[in-house]
Amino acid sequence: MFEAALGKKKPLVDREILILGALLMLLPMTLPYKTLAAEILIYSLGAVSFNILLGFTGLLSFGHGALFGAGAYTTGLVLIHLGWHPLIALVCASTMGAVVALFIGLLSIRKVGIYFVMLTLALNQLAFFLVYQWKGLTGGDDGLLNVPRPDFGLFPGLQLPIQTNLQFFLFAWLIFMIAIILIRRILNSPFGRVLVAIKENPDRALAVGYNVRQYKLAAFVISGFFTGLAGGLYAMFMRMVPITSVELFTSSDFIIMSLLGGLKSLYGPIIGTLIVKIASEALSQIWARWLLLLGATFVLCVLYMRGGVWGLAESFYKKRKQAEVKK
Amino acid sequence: MILRTEKLTKRFAGLKAVSTVNLQVAEGEIHAIIGPNGAGKTTLFNMLTGEIEVSAGDIYFNEKKITGLKPNQIARAGIGRSFQQNKLFQSISVLENVRLAVHAHSEGHFNPLLHFLSYTKPIEKAWKILEELDISSIADKEAGELSHGQQRMLEVAIALAAEPAVLLLDEPTSGMSPEGAFRMIRMLEKIGDRLTMVLIEHNMNLVMSISSKITVLQQGEVIATGNPSEIKNNEVVRRAYLGEYSR
Repeated sequence: MFEAALGKKKPLVDREILILGALLMLLPMTLPYKTLAAEILIYSLGAVSFNILLGFTGLLSFGHGALFGAGAYTTGLVLIHLGWHPLIALVCASTMGAVVALFIGLLSIRKVGIYFVMLTLALNQLAFFLVYQWKGLTGGDDGLLNVPRPDFGLFPGLQLPIQTNLQFFLFAWLIFMIAIILIRRILNSPFGRVLVAIKENPDRALAVGYNVRQYKLAAFVISGFFTGLAGGLYAMFMRMVPITSVELFTSSDFIIMSLLGGLKSLYGPIIGTLIVKIASEALSQIWARWLLLLGATFVLCVLYMRGGVWGLAESFYKKRKQAEVKK
Repeated sequence: MILRTEKLTKRFAGLKAVSTVNLQVAEGEIHAIIGPNGAGKTTLFNMLTGEIEVSAGDIYFNEKKITGLKPNQIARAGIGRSFQQNKLFQSISVLENVRLAVHAHSEGHFNPLLHFLSYTKPIEKAWKILEELDISSIADKEAGELSHGQQRMLEVAIALAAEPAVLLLDEPTSGMSPEGAFRMIRMLEKIGDRLTMVLIEHNMNLVMSISSKITVLQQGEVIATGNPSEIKNNEVVRRAYLGEYSR
């Protein structure tokens, strides 16, 4: 079975990626608001990045609000005070996400299980109060206001504005697709396969000869890099950075989206984000306590649907295929 | 001596689980460690592989001190082991279980930018090991779906992936059917031709038929060392442990 795959070139962009890109392009056409489409892409990227840790390394982090926030504030500050090119602002966001992740990772990865989770949670709170207190830089409670959205030009003479909702969606789509292609490659690399092995059985991974801590830390930094990128996009999308972006709730949002969509797949968190965001948009107008419903769905998912929506679809597909074979 | 210990000791809360053990394993040997339950065999193993800390004494591998090294460093140095309880990557395929173990010892395993299938050598080597152990027919199965005997074989395959100079096997036939145990013995004999093996085993038929040297532990201490016939005829061992078998 593997001989056929061996030695063949593995392109970064294949049918799977093209289908994903095309499907996501449908978002602004089918959703009632185009802003929602961009928001879904941004949170999807955050959830997918978060899931590198939970779904593929087996680490539950409550610190991703801090990483998302780090990216958002970095981009906001770079655009306000330095007025750099939006792409450079996003690179700064990713870098800051990775640096903060390195910091959180170094402090928490030496612990496992609940102690690890609690440390990431505590560090996220620390980041929140840091932002809250440092009013001069971050705007404190009010958030960082008036983040500009400069034109997006690759070289002089070609300036692409990203002012309208559709223009910004296209910009976010481009960044999102590049990030997904990279994340997918990372998960299929020798490095990524070791992460899955660590999730399965860290003791065995160590016994086989892998430096488990080093891998976990690298996974944390990579996850932070892409979560920071999502945060950077968020700052440009909102034209401001609300203090909620660094809150613990942002961390828990990523957890809910990933679990709901399915942890075992790269694409699960995208589906989860789609469901959560569309449901919140639709339900929040009808019923102010709609979050109760989300909580209940979450509990049901954890109890009865461990694979999330993606896992459900996958098992359904497998059963149908088996039935066909039997015929 | 390829592997030896000097007054190796492990205390658990005052209790001496292993006490001043001088183990000497020569290159090419199949060296069995036997002894009643609680004699300290597994504790001794866990110290050799760095999984638990040494209380006193030293371990030498190729006359280089390896006391205090971490399990992954010891694995890298050339001491492989299998576990008494199965510790496989349960929902990962047999071939991938072995490939992961092979790739840990070759370049590129930390590379996040190339597809893992671009590294053909680890996959080919993993396949070769499966063929050598005659389990290539189950390469696609998830490790968790295997029978107990097959899981034990996979254990050995994973241990071999590191190309160890010394292979430590913790009860390779435990819980196996007689046929499974027989297959395992044949296989161990085969791979014993090309590497040094140290094994813990309760199955006396296995011990007597394949080992070239035996060390007997009792209450954490070595009470005898010798070749199978010497051990069979050793009075102390007979009284302490072998009684039934030698009759």
